[in-house]
Amino acid sequence: MDVLFNQLFSGLSMASILLVIALGLAIIYGSMGVINLAHGEFVMLGAYATWAMQTYFGFSILVALPFVFLAVALVGWIIELVIVRRLYRRPLDTILATWGIGIILQQAVRLGIGAESRFVKGPGILDGNVVIGNVVMSNYRIFVILFSIGVLAATWALMTKTEFGMKLRAVIQNRGISECYGIEASRVYSLTFAYGAGLAGIAGALITPLYSTIPTMGTSLVVDAFLVVIVGGLGSLIGAAAAAVMIGEVTAVFSMVMNDTLGRIAVLGCIILLIRFRPRGLFPETVRR
Amino acid sequence: MSILHAENLFSYYGKSPILQDVSFSLKAGEFLSVLGRNGVGKTTLLKTIMGLTDRCEGRLEFDGADISGRSTPERARLGIGYIPQGREIIPRFTVEENIIMGCYARTDGKREIPDYLFEMFPILREFLTRRGGDLSGGQQQQLAIARALAMDPKILILDEPTEGIQPNIVRQIEDAIVHLNRERGLAVILVEQNIPFARKASDRFVVLDKGAVAMAGHKDELTDAVVEKHMTF
Repeated sequence: MDVLFNQLFSGLSMASILLVIALGLAIIYGSMGVINLAHGEFVMLGAYATWAMQTYFGFSILVALPFVFLAVALVGWIIELVIVRRLYRRPLDTILATWGIGIILQQAVRLGIGAESRFVKGPGILDGNVVIGNVVMSNYRIFVILFSIGVLAATWALMTKTEFGMKLRAVIQNRGISECYGIEASRVYSLTFAYGAGLAGIAGALITPLYSTIPTMGTSLVVDAFLVVIVGGLGSLIGAAAAAVMIGEVTAVFSMVMNDTLGRIAVLGCIILLIRFRPRGLFPETVRR
Repeated sequence: MSILHAENLFSYYGKSPILQDVSFSLKAGEFLSVLGRNGVGKTTLLKTIMGLTDRCEGRLEFDGADISGRSTPERARLGIGYIPQGREIIPRFTVEENIIMGCYARTDGKREIPDYLFEMFPILREFLTRRGGDLSGGQQQQLAIARALAMDPKILILDEPTEGIQPNIVRQIEDAIVHLNRERGLAVILVEQNIPFARKASDRFVVLDKGAVAMAGHKDELTDAVVEKHMTF
């Protein structure tokens, strides 16, 4: 029983990181219809930025988080400005282009920093565990879970409570008329893309103590994040949260009762079944576009 | 002084010129109707004023400044209130959010709904929290006009505001448009198929045919013979 709880807890902490990655993907896809295959590399950049700040400036992860967010958001902003912006009318080409960007980023890091794994120390204040009975929960993982919930809440507030969010929702529903009322749609898109990239950066920073920081780390993470977006239903924040928890936990439980590989296959099997019966995800948009 | 002045205007979708050599001028506070059969470029003319066509050549001045190179949002912020055909309100926004959206074109940063909008269209106050998409066509049209007015425009350009709307609301909308022009001094460009309303409301008119100005004049010159020649099929 305790083993199960421990496993569920670690599944939850992975799920919450997955959620932050998936949120970025979902926002970028939901607003501009771009399937961003470079998203995993944004996560990787976030991880390396955290490593760099720790190695060269001695910043702990907690201090580095806002800087990582801004740095990766800036990278996303530039990529949107230089490449993605030109392809909004050609959605298939954005897939190819962002994939290419991903490869370039990955190889650039491999060439510049090296292919070997980099170590990032967890923050000192969050050393130690909370122990309830035989269930051991590391403070850092608890922090990750709470922080991700915070990111989800902040994103929800940004979308629904701020003027920026309202402008974004207006542009999503009718770009032409939004521009006729003074909304700079292209600026809204740039900022949204940058925000999505920044979220990936945060996820990268959060994951560094739990995962090996290598140039290819983004690839496997982004696959899971795509699964989250598909299962959750596009455009739904609550769906993304539910799907992240489900996928994280199911993976954790299956890997415990079987092994990692079989667990993986079982998870994919479950998702295929789910998509068979709910093709638009758990919480699809109910309004016609 | 003219608030809107177009000279030798050409406007394109792709490579096809939809408007060809259109010139007209509108003084502040004036009411101009744009008339003509279907497909002669009336809607395109309004879209060209907003910068929504692919390309445009010629001179287009608004309030003394050349706007032909400006983007659509910039034109909106200069004070051009556009009410498109089909209304295009945001279906998932509430009535209130739709009107507030009009304020985004304001340059003074205000985000309040002017009270006179609700005096003009009381139904909007009643439906403030309903979603725009749940309103009837006529209510949506009132909402679209309110949204444009929320930006405190210098000119209103309306594309067939009474098309496909239940008759009891058509009257309200017509009265509102006339009121805005006469009492509030707003310049208006109205694209309309409804000749009696155009006659009653406008100071001057322009008739388009095949993308060019076929005739322009004072409202008294809009005789039955002119209507017969340019507007009946």
